[in-house]
Order: sequence, then structure tokens, then C-alpha cells
Amino acid sequence: MNNIIKIDKVSKSYGSLKAVNNLSFLVKEGEFFSFLGINGAGKSTTINMICGELSKDFGSIEVCGEEVDGNNTSLKEKIGVVFQDSLLDKSLSVYDNLKIKASLYNITGKDFLDRYEELSKLFNLKEIEKQPISKLSGGQRRRVDIARAIIHNPSILILDEPTTGLDPGTRKSIWKVLNNLRKEKNLTIFLTTHYMEEAADSDYIVILDKGTTIAEGTPLELKNKYASDTVYIYNVDEENIKKLDKSYKKVRDGFKIIVKDLKEATDLIIKNKDLFKDYEVIKGKMDDVFLNATGYELEDE
Amino acid sequence: MNKLISLTKRNIKVYFSDKKMFFTSLITPIILLVLYVTFLSGVFKDSFINAFPEGFKYTDKLLNSLVGGQLISSLLAVSCITVAFTSNLLMVQDKAEKTIKDINITPISKFTIGLSYFVSTFISTFIVNFTVTIVCFIYAHFFGTYMNINDMLNIVLDLLLLTLFGTSLSSVINFNLSTQGQVSAVGTIISAGYGFICGAYMPISSFGKGLQKVISFLPGTYGTSLLRNHALSSSFREMRNQHLPEELIDGFKKAFDCKIKLLNNYVSINSMYLIVTGFTLLFIVIFIFMNKHKKRS
Repeated sequence: MNNIIKIDKVSKSYGSLKAVNNLSFLVKEGEFFSFLGINGAGKSTTINMICGELSKDFGSIEVCGEEVDGNNTSLKEKIGVVFQDSLLDKSLSVYDNLKIKASLYNITGKDFLDRYEELSKLFNLKEIEKQPISKLSGGQRRRVDIARAIIHNPSILILDEPTTGLDPGTRKSIWKVLNNLRKEKNLTIFLTTHYMEEAADSDYIVILDKGTTIAEGTPLELKNKYASDTVYIYNVDEENIKKLDKSYKKVRDGFKIIVKDLKEATDLIIKNKDLFKDYEVIKGKMDDVFLNATGYELEDE
Repeated sequence: MNKLISLTKRNIKVYFSDKKMFFTSLITPIILLVLYVTFLSGVFKDSFINAFPEGFKYTDKLLNSLVGGQLISSLLAVSCITVAFTSNLLMVQDKAEKTIKDINITPISKFTIGLSYFVSTFISTFIVNFTVTIVCFIYAHFFGTYMNINDMLNIVLDLLLLTLFGTSLSSVINFNLSTQGQVSAVGTIISAGYGFICGAYMPISSFGKGLQKVISFLPGTYGTSLLRNHALSSSFREMRNQHLPEELIDGFKKAFDCKIKLLNNYVSINSMYLIVTGFTLLFIVIFIFMNKHKKRS
């Protein structure tokens, strides 16, 4: 896979505040890439620099092989962005919002109608197309946001906390559409999120703190490095658990034993075959990865 | 070009569909209308009657045409500027609500974006003011006027010029604003203050000499005066037809800001056009310069 975004030693300061500090990472074409960090870690600044909205102080940002300088219009046709806050024109209808955005990419007339039809089916827009944005629910707005961001068939879709505040059902349906788009159109997804279970499905993750990468890798690599696995064992006496000489915690119907990794879990189970009749091994979660890598608890906004 | 047209259409649609923004822009003209209906028309009527020579038998039509001309010119002079300012606040609102980010990520130049705000402000302002003008002409028709088609066309020409002036002035002033607080502050100051300094509530001639001098250096003053001249010229023509002395008509012109002194000389109508056009062009050049040299942060 080719690199579609290449960030190389990029820095950006606001006065004395270093928002992004010597940041480097790669995003591959068609990849689902997650960019994590607490608020103020430098995620939005990096996104704004990738879009050409902000200038960098140092380093290089390449998108689709071109250096970003804010004026290259061809690059802007390759990127779609769903911003953290919905930036739709609230007094205009869903249809008008999409039509106006499409026209800024020179998609007009029949081309627009065809594309609108396609997106309308994908995001169920028909029933709400005449309604002003101000009358829509949060989930409906997000659907329109995403439809509008991909109206020009971009190669990269940047999603800045797209599902914050949405109910699980809506989040699930949005991800279903996005995953289909990835598979069918080889769309590269660049995601920032506070929901670690969303990031867990990524191909690659970069965790940012104070403008610098503090951890990166595939979800598995990160879990292996930063999160402990857990063995749950059920229907046994506490006396037997004590004999294992591992720290444990009582849970409903059993005990929870924290192990370093899967190897330690396997060794433990093999050594105590008679005891481990009813058990499960749970891999470390992305929440643990984030907590251990950054030292910060995540806030659900 | 297509992108400019699309974005301009978007701005106009947002302005007319955003009820808050649309009605805010009409506050000053509405206040002025209420003031005329409840109070100012009576004051002007009395001052016109007192100014007529003793024994002169004025008709209601002449009196109403003078008061109507004063109302029309005041209303249009104010709304050309205040409507332009409020409709141009969309440029600031887009920054405050970050909508501009969504526009900036599209393949459209910053200059085209700036130009779209300018063109849409001009069109929206002209639509509102032209509607107000039609209402004013209907009002004048029913309450008494001597206006002919030439007078009306002159008023529409003034309207175009003053709308362009208001658009260019507001574009320069609003360019660097970026918060909702600034939007409210500018909106309030313009709405409340412009009616006074352009002589819509009280003729400039009734202000103190010092203030008159300061106001004579403001280009908008000549826009108001152009409207006064064209809205009242038919009434002055009628006064001549009724053989009223030229000195008296001249006195009316001075009292109602049809004649304004700049550096102790009366400014001719052509010079007024030149001043307003000149400043409009200057503001447009400044606005283009600001757009061209706007840096990414």
C-alpha cells in the first residue's frame, strides 16, 4: 500500500505553546487510521494542517504525494472532512446543503442528481431532504455531515470525533456505512475519537500527547505493549485461586486474574489444567492502552 | 465563476432564511418608520408650514409630498447602510460558527470566498432596499407626490450607488471581525448610530456647527443628500410652479440637507456622485487588498 499521508517532523506553535512538536507518522492508502489523544494533544491542529487550513512552522506534510501549502486545489478535491462540530448551514435544507457543497467541487446538474441519489440511499436522506438542518436530530445531522463530506468522492475522509454524543445504534449504523465505503471505494479513513472501541477496529493507531507521538502501532501491537490481559475463572473456590500465587479480584461467579500477556495466561492454564474448567481470557482493551500510554483517563464528551 | 455564483447563492439563501439576521437588518428602517408615523412627520409638517410665507395657501398634497420625500430619503439612506452591514455579518457569523472552515477545505480560492460575500451582500441589500423603495413609492402615490418617472429612476440609481457604498464599507469593517460578540456590537452600533449621523432622524442642518463640519467629511452624508435631492426635487418643482420665491426653496434645500457645505463651499450633485463613487471604489480596493494579503494562521 502507498503512503497517502506523510507527516515528517512537523511542528506548530501558537506563541509559546507548542501545539505540535516534531510529529511524524504515515497513513497508508485505504487504511483505517486512528489518531488518538486527549483534548489539546494537537489532533485538531494536525488535521487543520493536513487540510491546508493552518500553516506549519517546520517539517513537511504530503498528501497524495503533494506538499500541502493551502493553495493546491487539486489536493482539496482528494480530502473530505467531518468536523467535530456540525458545520452545516442550519437554516438551509438537507438537499440545499448537499447541493451547495457539491457545486463548490463543480458537481452540478445531472452529475449532482446522480451523486445525491447515491448518497441519499446510503444515508437514508430522502425522508429528511426538505427539512432544515436546525430541525434534525444529532444522528440525522451527522449522516448529512458525512454525506456532504464525501459528496466529491474523496480519497481520504477525515473524521474528527464523528460519533461524539450519538446513541450506540446511530454510531453502529454510521460505522456500517463507513466500513462499506472503505471496502468498496478504498477510502482512507483518518479518525480521531474518544471512543476506544471505535479505534480498536483500526489498521493503525497513533497516540499523541503534547503534540508528539507517544505510542503507535496496530491495535494488537499496542494492546500487547500497553494493556494487560485478563483471565476470568468461574465456579472455583477462593482457596484454590490463592494457591495460584497471582493477584486476583473477586467478580460475580468467579475471579479475575490479571496476567502480563497471553503467554503468561497460557502457562497458567496449562500448569493448572484441573482448575481451569470454566474460564475465558480477555485481551487488554484500547482503553487500557490509552490509559497506560498517556497516563490520562479518557473523558466521554 | 460557477463556484462564485454557487457560494453567492448560498450566502443569499442563508441571509433570507435566517430569520434573526433578516429581521435584525430591518430594525432601523422599522424604527424610523414608526418614528415618522408617530412623531417625526408631525414635526416636519409643522416646520414646513412655518417656513411657508404668510398668506401662502399650501395644499395637503404639497405638504405630504415634502414629508413623504423626507421619509423616503431618510429610510433609504439608513437602510442602504444598515441592511448592508447586517447582511454582510454573515461573513463574520461564518467565522464565529466555524462554517468558514467547511468552505475553506473546498477547492475555492480565499479571494473568491471574499468576493462571494461582497456580491451576495450587494444583492441581498439591493433586494431589501428595492422592496422598501417600491413600498415607499406606493405610500407616496397614495399620500400625495409630484414625483415623475425620472425622479424615481434617480432614486433607484442612488439606491444602487448607496447599496454599493454600504456593501464596500461593511466589507472593509467586517473583514477582521470573527466573534459573535463583535457581530452584536457592530450590528448595534451601526443600527443605532447611523440614523443619527446621516441625518435620518434630524436634518444635519439642525446639528451644531462643529458636528456639521465633522459629518461633512463622511462620504455617506453625500449619499443621503443625493437621495434627499431626488426625493424632494418634485416638491421643489411644484413650489416653483406655485411661484414661491427661489430664496425660500433654497432655504428648504439647506434646511433639509439637499445642500451641504464642505470646507465652506456647497457641494454640487455631480460632486456628490463623485465623492460617494470615489469612496466606494477606495473601499473596494482596500477589501481586495485585504483578501489578497490574508495569511493562513
